[in-house]
Amino acid sequence: MTTVIEVKNLTKRYRDTVAADDVSFTIEKDTIYGLLGRNGAGKTTVMSILTAQNFATSGEVRVFGEHPYENARVLPRMCFVRESQRYPDDATATHALRMARLFFPRWSQELADRLVADFQLPMKKTIKKLSRGQLSAVGVIIGLASRAEITFFDEPYLGLDAVARQLFYDRLLEDYAEHPRTIILSSHLIDEVSNLLERVIVIDKGRIIMDEETEAVRGRAATIVGDTARVEAFVAGREVIHRESLGRVTSATVLGELTDADRSRLAAEGLDIAPVSLQQLIVRTTQHVESALTAAPEGAL
Amino acid sequence: MNRTWNVVRLQLINKQTYVWVPLIVLAGSFVLTLLIWSMVPFGGQKYSGGAQAVYWYFGVVGVQALTLTFPFSQAMSVTRREYFFGTTLTAVLTSALLASIYVGGAFLERATGGWGMEGYFFSIDWIWDAGPAAAWLLYFAVPMLFFMIGFGSATFYKRFGSVGLTVLLVGIGLSLVGLGWLIGRADGWSAVGTWIATQGTAGIAAWTLVVALVVGALSFAPLRRATP
Amino acid sequence: MIEEGRALFLQIAESVEDSIIDGTLAEEAQAPSTNELAAFYRINPATAAKGIAMLTDKGVLHKRRGIGMFVSRGARELLLGERRAAFADRFLDPLLAEARTLGLSPDDIARLLSERAARTTTEGTAR
Repeated sequence: MTTVIEVKNLTKRYRDTVAADDVSFTIEKDTIYGLLGRNGAGKTTVMSILTAQNFATSGEVRVFGEHPYENARVLPRMCFVRESQRYPDDATATHALRMARLFFPRWSQELADRLVADFQLPMKKTIKKLSRGQLSAVGVIIGLASRAEITFFDEPYLGLDAVARQLFYDRLLEDYAEHPRTIILSSHLIDEVSNLLERVIVIDKGRIIMDEETEAVRGRAATIVGDTARVEAFVAGREVIHRESLGRVTSATVLGELTDADRSRLAAEGLDIAPVSLQQLIVRTTQHVESALTAAPEGAL
Repeated sequence: MNRTWNVVRLQLINKQTYVWVPLIVLAGSFVLTLLIWSMVPFGGQKYSGGAQAVYWYFGVVGVQALTLTFPFSQAMSVTRREYFFGTTLTAVLTSALLASIYVGGAFLERATGGWGMEGYFFSIDWIWDAGPAAAWLLYFAVPMLFFMIGFGSATFYKRFGSVGLTVLLVGIGLSLVGLGWLIGRADGWSAVGTWIATQGTAGIAAWTLVVALVVGALSFAPLRRATP
Repeated sequence: MIEEGRALFLQIAESVEDSIIDGTLAEEAQAPSTNELAAFYRINPATAAKGIAMLTDKGVLHKRRGIGMFVSRGARELLLGERRAAFADRFLDPLLAEARTLGLSPDDIARLLSERAARTTTEGTAR
C-alpha cells in the first residue's frame, strides 16, 4: 500500500495548552480513516496542520512525500473544509461551488448538482443566511464533489438532521466505491460512522491512543454481566476497562476476544455476555487512559 | 497564473465591497458637493475635497480583502502566495477602474466648465495641469496605497493580534514624528516643500506607488504565517 | 441485521454462508460482488472485500477472472460440516446450562426434544 501522508512527532503548542503531543501516524492511499476523539482532543488542529492552514511547533509532515506548506503541487490535491468554515460575505452557494470548481482539478459538476438536489440546498441565498444544516451541506458538497485525492471532513454533519447525515454517508460510500480516494473523517459520533471506516485513529488530549483497523477493534471487548463473585472470578487476570455494580450484580467490560471455551464457561456460570459497540469501546478506552494518567504518581515521595 | 486569476474572481464575489459601496460613496460625495456648490452664492472657482472619500474607503476594501476572503481561499487549497498576488491584482484592477472613472469625470468636468458652476471635483488644477496621463497615474496610485495600508494592517492584525498592530502603528507614528522633528531641527521644511513641488504630479504618483509596493511587500511576511 | 461488537466482515461472510446453506445461493452461481455487498449493508467496500476474501480462502468462493466471484462446487457440504461441528458448542452448551438452572435432567430434555421435533416436522420447513 502506498503511503500518502506521513506524520512524525508532530507537536503543536499554544501558550498554555498542547493541542498535539508527539503525534505520529501514516495514512495509506485510497482508504477511509476515522479521526476520532472528544471535542477539543486535537482533531481539527492535526487536520489544519496537514493542510498547511496551521503550523506545527515541531515534528515533520509529508504529504505525497513533500512538505505541504505553500506547495502548489500538493495543496490542490487535498480538500479540507472545516467545521465552521467562513465564506465571503456576499457569497451564495452558487458562488462557493463555482469557486470550488475552479480550484479543484478533479471537481465533478455532475456530482455537485446531484448533491445540491439531494440536500435541497438554496443556491441563491447568501451563505450567511443559511441554516446551520444548510451551511454544513455546502461544506459536504464541496468536499465530496472535489474528488480530491485526499479529502478531509471535519465533523461535517453538524446541524444536519439524521436523514441528511445518512444521505451523506450513503453518497460518500457510493462515490468512494466508484472513485476511490483517501478520506479522513473526523467525528465524535463514532457508532454512526463506524461502518464507513477502514481504520480508526483515536486522539485524546493531543495524543494518539489508538491507530488500528476498525475490524480488528470491533469485537475486542465484551461486557460480562451477572453475579458479582462469578464475574470477578471470570475477569481475574484480564484487563477490565470498565466496571459497574448494582447490588450483587456487576457489569465488567473486558478486553480480549472470548474463545468458545470462554463462552461455554460463561453460559455454564449463568453469566450474560453483552456486545460492546465500537463507540463504547473507544469511550471506555479513552476514560481508562485518562484515569490511568491522573492516577499516575506525580513524583517520588 | 491561472489560480492567481481565480483568486481575483474569488475576491470579486464580494460585490458590495468592490462595486456597490465605492460607487455609493463616490456618487454620494459627488452629489453632495454639487448641492453645496449650488447653494453657495460664490462666483469663481470652487474646489472640493470630496473626491478623497473613496480613497479612504479603499483602506476598508484592503481590510475586507483579507478578512472576508482569506479563510475561504485556504479552504480552496490556495497557497498564500497565489492569494497575495491575486489580491494585489484585484487591487490593481479596481484602482485602475477608479482612476479611469476619475479621468473620465475630469474630462466631462472641464468640458462643462465645472458642471456649469465652475466647481472642480475631479480635476484639481495642479493635478490636471500635468496632463491626463499623470493625473490617471496619481488617481491610480492613491487608492493602491490606501488598499495596501488596509490590507497590511489587517494581515498584521491577523498574525500578531491587536497588541501587535497597536505596537506597529504607534511605532510608525513615533517614527514619522521623529522624522518631522529631525527635519525641523535641520530647518529643512522649505527644502522638503521645494522637493515635493519639483516632483510634479507624475513624480508624486510614482513615489506613492513605491510606498504602496513597500507596504505590500511587508505584509507578505505576516501573511505567510497567518491562519484562517 | 448487523450486530454490534462483532467484526463486520465475519457477519458478511456468515450471511453469504447462510444463503448458500439454505439454498438461495446455489453452487456455481455468481456471488454478490464486493460493491453490491458494501452498498447493501452500507459499509466500507474494503470490509466487504475482507469477508469475500475469507470465504475465498476457505474454498467457499472462487474467482473467475473478468467476471466475478462464484460459489465453489462442494461449498454447501463444506459449510454444513463446519456448522455441524460447531453445533454442540453453539447451541447445546447454553441449552444444557439453562436446563441445569431450571432443574431439567437430560432425560427431560430428550423428551421435550422428541415432542418438539415431531411437531415441527409436521408443520415442516423442507430439509
